[in-house]
Amino acid sequence: MISVAQSISKRNLKVTVLSGLGIFLLVIGVFSMSQGAFAISLSQSISILLSELGIQLSDFNSQQANVLLQIRLPRILLATLVGGGLGISGAALQGLFRNPLVEPGLIGVSSGSALFAVIFLVFAPTTIALSWIQNLGMPLFAFLGGLIHVVAVYLLGQSSNKTNTNNLILAGVAINALAGALIGLTLFYSDDAAIRSFTFWSLGDLGGATWEKMPTATILIAIPSLLLFSQSKNLNAISLGEQEAFHMGINVPALKVKLLLITALIVGVAVSLTGMIGFVGLVVPHLIRISFGADHKLLLPASFLLGAILLNVADLLARTIAIPAELPIGVITALLGAPFFIYLISNFNSSKN
Amino acid sequence: MLAASNIHFCIKQRPIVDQASLSLEAGEVLAILGPNGAGKSTLFKILSGEVSCKHGSVGYNGCPIHNLKSKQLAEIRAVMPQHSQVNFPFTSQEVVELGLVACKTNKPQQLVKEVMELTQTSHLKERVFNQLSGGEKQRVQLARVLVQIWENKPFPRYLLLDEPTSALDIAQQHSVLQIVKELKNRNIGVLLILHDLNLAAQYADRIILLKNGIIAGCGETSEVLQEGILSKVFEHPVTIMIHPITGRKIISTDHFYSNPSKNLKTIQYGNSF
Repeated sequence: MISVAQSISKRNLKVTVLSGLGIFLLVIGVFSMSQGAFAISLSQSISILLSELGIQLSDFNSQQANVLLQIRLPRILLATLVGGGLGISGAALQGLFRNPLVEPGLIGVSSGSALFAVIFLVFAPTTIALSWIQNLGMPLFAFLGGLIHVVAVYLLGQSSNKTNTNNLILAGVAINALAGALIGLTLFYSDDAAIRSFTFWSLGDLGGATWEKMPTATILIAIPSLLLFSQSKNLNAISLGEQEAFHMGINVPALKVKLLLITALIVGVAVSLTGMIGFVGLVVPHLIRISFGADHKLLLPASFLLGAILLNVADLLARTIAIPAELPIGVITALLGAPFFIYLISNFNSSKN
Repeated sequence: MLAASNIHFCIKQRPIVDQASLSLEAGEVLAILGPNGAGKSTLFKILSGEVSCKHGSVGYNGCPIHNLKSKQLAEIRAVMPQHSQVNFPFTSQEVVELGLVACKTNKPQQLVKEVMELTQTSHLKERVFNQLSGGEKQRVQLARVLVQIWENKPFPRYLLLDEPTSALDIAQQHSVLQIVKELKNRNIGVLLILHDLNLAAQYADRIILLKNGIIAGCGETSEVLQEGILSKVFEHPVTIMIHPITGRKIISTDHFYSNPSKNLKTIQYGNSF
């Protein structure tokens, strides 16, 4: 795989990979618009989209247009933003911890966000919960939860100024278990509807996508992701080691704070919108790294695109496998991701020995 | 000039470095020698700015180290730690380019090319760093730290190396130290920790001997490399001979030359078995 990367110059590689992934994402997006319980053909979905731009092609009825524009399109956009956000956060966290096994779900960012989102949902007064504050308040509260957890796991994973992988992962497991228990407890003391939403928080669901959620998602996922792109050089440097990064002129403590804040924000917002969706942040950066190398200048944007692709594919499967029912999307990503993770662990150990 | 004065550093009230002062001029190779646990690495970390020290002062080109931002410091001095691990599949060239991550330069490609040629790593540039041999890795790391201070600047720069030859075979050791020695012409001062006394004898202009955190000897290489002081610092008998061709000092650590009576005992032991 590396040899493919070698034969093309670096800049060309970046352009080729990113545009390739971008086109693939577009194709997947358009294709999944035409799939689902309600019949809309591929040509109809394209013409519905184009008619919004004022170009009339083939026939469709207004019900089809409504399903496509009000249900499927926001859902696909949300999958793109959340998947991309999870992919890029995974890449950034792996770089920061210099560990390819790190993932937002694994080190407790996701469960922390979910816990705080549930707490907000259950305990915020309904009058407030109905207003615009919920649209912004819950993501920010989830961000806070994710941040607290990632900082806790990070501190537990440090031993004598070095990040200890075993401690890190064990701390993540402990914090995840605790957060899971607290989520269950919180929901237990709330009403029945909330209990039903437990699946939403633990396995994720894109079904709640509406246009009203898009501004929050766009601003709080896309902008932090752009901020992460600007950190690619620094992430490259810190991949060599914190000591080395300092010697090369990087302000390491400031960089760590910046990266933890941004990734917690992205993951927190993603979780508050779609619940916990595991393994995207783990698998995606890996696939990019194996295929195109470790340079974060390519890794970060490519992880965003591939994360978006993966989540769109997973969502497509989730809502078409058992029509008209829907599988929780986390089931699909875990089915794909868990075997991959097991493979990584076995590989990681053998490469170390 | 890199100047440190009265460095005093304790861990749990045990002095690790005790009232150490030293200076390094550009165009000079200074070696720090001493037994394990003498405080060499701690002193090294204080000089590089990695560890801040409450007592005493460190300054680069007349500016106290705590007034320099990490970015400014990176333009003045480069540091090669003993072990660097790279967990991700970066190519060698990517690793070397990282040396310039915080530096402003308008010819990064040329600088990278020059140092890779100098360290004989040009042919490795597309290879994945983790798959290189120990010696190749060390040379790539050397290229990375060199590129950081390679560009000619109006002020002197410094290179700090922690046991740069520890993982290398004899030929590699000499090629690395030869490169280091040639840096003198680029207005660069080199400070390095060494374990091999003979390498120090060959390549260092000045030597500092460290023992229990205290500077036990400091001066021109030929002055410091004396049997008495070396034996005392390393708690091991040392004999100095003269190389028949170069006329330079050779340090032997063989028991036989240093203490004939003790040596006789070993022979007697040998016979009795």
